[in-house]
Amino acid sequence: MGERSPDEEAEVRVLGLGNVLMGDDAAGPWVVEHLRAEYEIGPGASLTDVGTPGLDLVPFIGGARVVILVDTVKSKGEAGELRFYRRDEILRYPPGPRTSPHDPGVKETLLYLEMAGSGPEEVLLVGIVPGRVEKGLFLTPAVAAAIPEAAEAVAVELRRLGIPALRRPGSAPARPWWAGEEGTAP
Amino acid sequence: MSKRITVDPVTRIEGHLRVDVEVDGGHVKNAWSSGQMFRGIEEILKGRDPRDAWLFTQRFCGVCTTVHAITSVRTVENALDIAVPMNAQYIRNLIVGAHAMHDHIVHFYHLSALDWVDVVSALKADPAKTSALAESLSPWPHNGTAVLKGVQDRLKGFVEAGQLGIFANGYWGHPAMKLPPEVNLLAVSHYLQALDAQRNINKVVALLGSKTPNIQNLAVGGVANAINLDNEATLNMSKLYFVKEALDEAQKFIEQVYFPDVCAIGALYADWLPYGAGVKNYMAVPDFPLDEKGTKFDLPGGTIMGGDLGSVKEIKAFGDPYFKENVTESIAHAWYDGDWQKHPYDEETVPKYGKWEDDGKYSWVKAPRFQGKPMQVGPLAQVLVGFALKHEPTVKWAVKTLETIGAVAKTKVGPEILHSTLGRHAARMIRTCMIAEITQKHWKLLVENIGKGDTEIFRKPEFPSGEQRGFGFHEAPRGALSHWIVIRDGKIANYQAVVPSTWNAGPRDGKGQVGPYEASLIGNPVADAERPLEVLRTIHSFDPCLACAIHTLDVEGNEIARVRLA
Repeated sequence: MGERSPDEEAEVRVLGLGNVLMGDDAAGPWVVEHLRAEYEIGPGASLTDVGTPGLDLVPFIGGARVVILVDTVKSKGEAGELRFYRRDEILRYPPGPRTSPHDPGVKETLLYLEMAGSGPEEVLLVGIVPGRVEKGLFLTPAVAAAIPEAAEAVAVELRRLGIPALRRPGSAPARPWWAGEEGTAP
Repeated sequence: MSKRITVDPVTRIEGHLRVDVEVDGGHVKNAWSSGQMFRGIEEILKGRDPRDAWLFTQRFCGVCTTVHAITSVRTVENALDIAVPMNAQYIRNLIVGAHAMHDHIVHFYHLSALDWVDVVSALKADPAKTSALAESLSPWPHNGTAVLKGVQDRLKGFVEAGQLGIFANGYWGHPAMKLPPEVNLLAVSHYLQALDAQRNINKVVALLGSKTPNIQNLAVGGVANAINLDNEATLNMSKLYFVKEALDEAQKFIEQVYFPDVCAIGALYADWLPYGAGVKNYMAVPDFPLDEKGTKFDLPGGTIMGGDLGSVKEIKAFGDPYFKENVTESIAHAWYDGDWQKHPYDEETVPKYGKWEDDGKYSWVKAPRFQGKPMQVGPLAQVLVGFALKHEPTVKWAVKTLETIGAVAKTKVGPEILHSTLGRHAARMIRTCMIAEITQKHWKLLVENIGKGDTEIFRKPEFPSGEQRGFGFHEAPRGALSHWIVIRDGKIANYQAVVPSTWNAGPRDGKGQVGPYEASLIGNPVADAERPLEVLRTIHSFDPCLACAIHTLDVEGNEIARVRLA
């Protein structure tokens, strides 16, 4: 237990978003688990499974220089396809009026922090097109197959930023607590 | 001719909260509240080890993580009839208290303030006059002219660049916006400062919970925070002082910013005080336990029927039969098979989706009832119950709030104004002020207890064979949350979560009684049907929590709530 949560202090923060109980919505947290299990990541970057915090994203993004978000995205593509977005593309459309604090809060959080003068300089969203998003602890095969690819995309970005992020040879595959013994199998 | 308005956010693959209102003559005549998504996540828990349930329940919702974790361990402890060490109670109390302060601040400033504050009007404010006004209300040191001028300049930059950013979809310029430019500027400045307050208080949850947003330190039987004042790696004095500093900072923001802001908005929107009462049966559960078994608490719970404070009946302890025996859920108007009204232990969740029918089934949310009646839950329920029970901190903060509102509005106001949309905001603030004091107290209790040499944090639970039933509750930021468990031979046989927003957002029941959201909307004014700001004001005042289960970001489309007129 540190004095501060290191997740909230790192310069570069990798945040996996999504609900691990809702099928493919867990893709973001899965990528974080995959990076933890199979990569050696140098100092200066943190990996966090943030769940679905809505407006509570503020502490996780505030004060970071670079934020790499991994999330499912609504898109016309096939399940398992990756989509990449930078800050301006994420903010091209303004956020809508909210009915609840739980609506996805990525756009709002970026705008709040920018307005308050503590927004990140760079943002990359690694988006994964989901297949089935409903109650369940497993990914669909197409999305499960995309996890290593999405993790490598995060690693490439980290290396571009000068942070070592290399695959650890012979590491055991990720086995997140929620997925039990069967891993990603349906 | 009446007009039908549907407010239906389309931000996800599946929908969530949808509200339909019928407007006639500028007022809402009828209302329907609908959960547009099947949850049923409890099914995932069946057959699992009850000691793991909290890890899953805290993923029910991304914002209310801590509250489902705490409630789950209390539930299993109740089923096993076990007590937890005092250090565990205090540490849990500090976490839930910090979480509640964080949550209430975010709700007021970042979710609902823009219902009342016209951002664009702030550009017309005189920063010096704004500063003078602020200093007449509060000793907060960050209300100076230079700070306010800086906020105004930044806002101006956004507007001139043609992008209002975060405010782009606010209902600015709406005829129902009434604040003078100076108050709007002050509110915008505090809106930005609240971001720092939010980050600050989150540190307490992160340190004690080992991690946020999903805490890791809980266990059925206690907590996993090893205490050793001589060890760097455990909970020690330097970490405890770090917590204390964050609590001090939070309390200052709450008392010097949140308190006067809510009072000022309440006073300046005095014409809104008659709206939004709705269901006047209230229920709160006691919280911040002061003993191992949960029989003494720092915040009281109970019920009030028909708005009569004299009818108050206390819920006294964890496991109180008055609570246990009177809760049922009705599916008469919800998309489940059947039309029963059952106790949570006996429920089975069989979804049966049909189309929307105004007089039939129209929601995925069940309708919880207490003694067969709809109940409003949330900070207002808790404050009214405390007030009716003459709970000293509640009375103190409620009186102070009403006096301040009266002074700004230059009129005398009594507790009856709390039965309203704005009353829910006032009550949430009152509760936050109390929690700021209570967390200070529990910090002191924890330090004193450790000082006496007590470092016990956990007692291993034993699971007997056969069946045990139990329930746990927590007065969460959105109100009374309860989990119900049936354990058979050490495994979960049934699990139900009756969440606060189910009480408030639930549909009609078998007797046709409307739920609290629905009741509160009937009679609301609506000035402009294309921009139903007033409907959002009342719904937001409850702090809705339905869209908890999934998160898919829509980057390529316009992420906007749809308002449909029919």
